[in-house]
Amino acid sequence: MSLLEACKWLEASWLGTAIRESKWGFALIEMVHLLALALLGGALLITGLRVWGFLFKEQRPGAITRDLGWLLVGSFAAMLVSGILLFADGPLRYFGNAAFRVKLLLIVGAATTGLLTHLLGVRGQIGQSASTVMKAMALLSCTLWLGAGIAGRVIGVL
Amino acid sequence: MTLFLHICQWLAGTAVGTGIRESDNLFSVIETVHVLGIIFTAGTIAIVDLRILGLLLNRYSVEEILRPLVKITWLGFSVMASTGILLFWSEADKLYFNLSFRVKLTLLLTAGINQWIFQRTHKREMAVWGAVVVPLWRAKLAAALSLGLWLGIIVLGRAIAYQ
Repeated sequence: MSLLEACKWLEASWLGTAIRESKWGFALIEMVHLLALALLGGALLITGLRVWGFLFKEQRPGAITRDLGWLLVGSFAAMLVSGILLFADGPLRYFGNAAFRVKLLLIVGAATTGLLTHLLGVRGQIGQSASTVMKAMALLSCTLWLGAGIAGRVIGVL
Repeated sequence: MTLFLHICQWLAGTAVGTGIRESDNLFSVIETVHVLGIIFTAGTIAIVDLRILGLLLNRYSVEEILRPLVKITWLGFSVMASTGILLFWSEADKLYFNLSFRVKLTLLLTAGINQWIFQRTHKREMAVWGAVVVPLWRAKLAAALSLGLWLGIIVLGRAIAYQ
């Protein structure tokens, strides 16, 4: 089954139909998506700030990610689930939307660089400031996340 | 108050208001900054509230978390206020009648008052809120209220467009 066929299937499925026909369904899911964005953004902001040495300097750079673990994973999961449900409202429409596709790529990029940053820092020493590579990667990751957020907004404009 | 309504109608008719409303991209850009600004305001506030509630970053004292974040929150808030004022400016005549918008402003005011009371009551004890000394139930209540208010503010902000 090609991607296009999968989209057509999803659009016609009970899930796609239910969301499309419900009066408040889409709005509610969108709000969850927005709330999860606030939490994920906040958590990512703090991890970025730690890598750059603006707070919690006496902890290992990778320790913050572990301490914020449940928030990072939970809010990302909420974004993923709500995102999939939003997508189900009009799979074909989103499939053809350039901003949507760019957004997906940016998310993959941001998550990958973020994970790499974490792996680099998880074995650092306490009190040690992050290496330049780590800082650059953290900055790249945050930029890609921001890009994903902007692309998400552009979806509605295209 | 019809005076207020007239002010809103006047605002919407000004060059700035009309310019934003009728431009191709200006409104979208201002709105995008406003939405992403949520991360730097509500996001940072939520993290501090969650810490006060003892739900995350318990290894660190509240003060340790608050100090670097408070500057970001204020910066974020000024961006939110500026973009919010511009967005309001361009549609003041319609927003006057928008229930979601009115409730959102009320919640914002309440959140501000909650924050002010919290600061006055707990400013001195906050210094010792570490892993061992936990915030009083009153402080936790304020933090929970803060989370609830900001949740409402975000939800209603989105609901404005649905009216």
